[in-house]
Amino acid sequence: MHAHADSLLLLLADARLPVAGHTQSGTLEPALAGGLTVDDVPFFVATRLRTVTRVEAATAVVALHRIRSGLKLDDVERAWAARTPSPAMRATSRTQARALLRLTSRLWPAPAPPVVELVETPHLDRLEDRRPTSRAVALAHAADRAGLSPRSLARLVAYDDVQTVCAAALKLVPLDPAVVTGWVFDALPLVDRLADEVAGLQLPHQIPASGAPQIEAWAQAHATATRRLFSA
Amino acid sequence: MRDSSRALRLGVCGPVGTGKSSLIALLCRELAGGLGLGVVTNDIYTDEDARFLRSAGVLDPDRIRAVETGACPHTAIRDDITANALAVEELEAEYGDLELVMIESGGDNLTATFSPALVDVQIFVLDVAGGGDVARKGGPGIERADLLVVNKTDLAVHVGVDREQMVADATAAREGRPVVALSRTDRASIDALVSWVRSQLSTHTAGTLVPQDPGPMAPHFHADETGGTLHVHDHDGLHVHEHAHR
Ligand SMILES: Nc1nc2c(ncn2[C@@H]2O[C@H](COP(=O)(O)OP(=O)(O)O)[C@@H](O)[C@H]2O)c(=O)[nH]1
Ligand SMILES: [Mg+2]
Repeated sequence: MHAHADSLLLLLADARLPVAGHTQSGTLEPALAGGLTVDDVPFFVATRLRTVTRVEAATAVVALHRIRSGLKLDDVERAWAARTPSPAMRATSRTQARALLRLTSRLWPAPAPPVVELVETPHLDRLEDRRPTSRAVALAHAADRAGLSPRSLARLVAYDDVQTVCAAALKLVPLDPAVVTGWVFDALPLVDRLADEVAGLQLPHQIPASGAPQIEAWAQAHATATRRLFSA
Repeated sequence: MRDSSRALRLGVCGPVGTGKSSLIALLCRELAGGLGLGVVTNDIYTDEDARFLRSAGVLDPDRIRAVETGACPHTAIRDDITANALAVEELEAEYGDLELVMIESGGDNLTATFSPALVDVQIFVLDVAGGGDVARKGGPGIERADLLVVNKTDLAVHVGVDREQMVADATAAREGRPVVALSRTDRASIDALVSWVRSQLSTHTAGTLVPQDPGPMAPHFHADETGGTLHVHDHDGLHVHEHAHR
């Protein structure tokens, strides 16, 4: 008996999924330290959806297409890495990927998710880049096993990002949680739009290069901060 | 299920300031010569513990990893252990010689204990400076951690605590489980701690160690001293809480 893809989407989007989600702020912690205020958080969420999260969602969708077509993923990983210039953000993504693969290899034991081998990448010779699977690709593997559509996968990436930032906001700048859920609610049309826009992508070069230099700079600063609640 | 060829995972929990980092540094110093060691810390707001241990010079700094818990130190050692498990697995993958990995919890309140899915054995640390009655009040870690350490016994005279009474209370609360009254100035107590850790290591390598869950906080029955009747209550004075985690 197989679970319906909708039920599996709920499972993967659930904050109770044991993938160390409580350690993540979606760069909100350094953004607040860098001068953003509580009132800016909804704009921060929207900006991420237009920029870094767009890269992540598009990467996941392209990876899903390639997994389902039996194609290699190394150029998807490279396209993602090239569009994610912050080493700290790449390292975070790969740590999250390991957490996810740790879980999904239990849920869907065989066959094991293929390990992506990066070939000849002189510009990616940093230590963290030798651990190749990114979170987007790990999510694509899960989506493949769960039978999710590309649109659902993109929606999952976007929704999770919004919830990650908003949940962290409750820890960093405590407010009425209903207000924060209101921010999530208001961001849902943006989540839908992003899902629609990237759902049809199939080729690595179609992944938008829509990074946000300020968010990446905050991510870098956070990696060496000595006072922090969140891993990233 | 448990793999006795991998390193023993030892959790160290207990309130802030009771001496968890110091105890880990002490064990590193005592064991480093003969054993492959690794440490994972769970600071709440800083990487102070990791930095303290690195600067103590008792272990290669790269074998000490800090895990951020997103203000949920409780979650990271109990219900979503993923971040800690990854840190331990990473150390194991990078250092083939690991025999003991010590995980320090972010000092939470008296109710936080490790999940047996993360650690094989756990030490709960109290100190005499926290007051003589803490041990009597009990709680899952105090009552059922594999070892209870009553630390800083050298301070007992200065803080007006009866060391023997505190240890006796702790022993009574633990129904026979071991207690070590520790001070870094008391060699015999250090030897007792080290020999307990070594005995856990042998049980682990022999494949006979079965991780125990000290359990979450639960209401307890206590004999009412005045009336002699039984009543149910939470441990008074203890901070019992449930986080609603994301
Ligand atoms: N007097 C005394 N102080 C100790 C002892 N062990 C640790 N401490 C001190 O207790 C303080 C808190 O120790 P620490 O290990 O950082 O506690 P943690 O927050 O539980 O990790 C430090 O100032 C230590 O030097 C001891 O045996 N005797
Ligand atoms: Mg400490």
